[in-house]
Amino acid sequence: MIKNFLKLIKNEFLLMLRGSIFTIVLFSLLLIASSIFSLAIRNITYDIEITIAFLWIIIFFISLIKVEKVYANDFSEAKLQQYILSPFALEIIVFIKNIMIYLNLIFVFIIFSPLILIILGVQLSYLIPINLLLILSLLSIIFISSMTASITISKNNKLSITSVLTLPLFVPILIFSMALTEIVDFQISKLYLFFIAYFLLNLAFSPLLTSFALKRLSV
Amino acid sequence: MIEIRNLSFARGNDLIFKNISLEVKHGEMMVLKGANGQGKTTLLSNILNFLDPLEGEIIYDGRVIDNAISSKYFLYIGENNFAYDELSLNDNIKYWLAVHNVNFSQEVRDKSIKFLFDELNLNKKFYQLSYGQKKKLQLLLLMLVNKPVWILDDPFNGLDNKTIEKIIILLTKKLENNGLILISSHQDVLTLEHKIFQL
Repeated sequence: MIKNFLKLIKNEFLLMLRGSIFTIVLFSLLLIASSIFSLAIRNITYDIEITIAFLWIIIFFISLIKVEKVYANDFSEAKLQQYILSPFALEIIVFIKNIMIYLNLIFVFIIFSPLILIILGVQLSYLIPINLLLILSLLSIIFISSMTASITISKNNKLSITSVLTLPLFVPILIFSMALTEIVDFQISKLYLFFIAYFLLNLAFSPLLTSFALKRLSV
Repeated sequence: MIEIRNLSFARGNDLIFKNISLEVKHGEMMVLKGANGQGKTTLLSNILNFLDPLEGEIIYDGRVIDNAISSKYFLYIGENNFAYDELSLNDNIKYWLAVHNVNFSQEVRDKSIKFLFDELNLNKKFYQLSYGQKKKLQLLLLMLVNKPVWILDDPFNGLDNKTIEKIIILLTKKLENNGLILISSHQDVLTLEHKIFQL
């Protein structure tokens, strides 16, 4: 079982690598959006929290698009039926896929981040704290997005609108990310623990809800 | 043994089938027949516990079928492709055998591929295969995943006569080994003894 579990992870990693082009395209769009944002507010004095808020909202949408794309392909009806008949619980497969999406997004973001910060006019001394903040918060964002995606890709289009119910779960991440910049100016703080705690909270119910929605709505 | 008692299924306000009862024992094969839209695939989905029936129950060896039973005992090959287009055939085989928690020797795998395909370049991507070859690659699971119950949705669709004969050999061996087979099919190609259930 463990041998096959490791094989499964290895193959999911392979699949993730093949999906990297799409991630790069999404981050290229982030570069364009950042350029437009910088141009739009070039004459206004603003704090770094505004930039962080902008960045996090865009990254949330990028994650949502990426997760939906992966889920629409990897949890098509025929594949999902095989996953359900697998000895591995669907929750575990959902978890592995989410972690692979996370690694894919975080890796590409780390490559793109210096350029993004330069475009947004943020000092490069913030590079490591912003990357660290994203490494911590993106885990929760991916797991929240997976719940949204599992409803959005369902056969019943009328239910798609209910996926917006998961969006408020993103708000605490945004608030704490902004608070972290305001209160401690990115110094290592207990506030970082919030992201770990929030991820653990998401981890407790997100794979369960995602796989429940996939089983009930997509087969 | 799979036993279905007074099974009814509705999708929304549409009643797909009503009060179905049937019984298939180990070592037997049953073919579900019926026109398009009569609910053959839906009945198979109910048996696999993919869908919840409106009424009735489905029992396997004395236990009501749930996810644990269906994943432990049932192998399902449906009409649609489940392999990944972007992976090579080799990677697809490895991936889906890992999903089904199957360990195999290279020798067994090569023999099975040889039996179904005669010759196949395993470095090809899945999307490069023809419809029939894609179907055959999925049917390869029948030879490599050892589960007592096979549930096959239109397995002969798109296959040439030679491949159909090979699939019939596999079905025969499965029945000899006390396996249980449920098939939905439009084609009358089965030369084996089987029960028929008309929907």
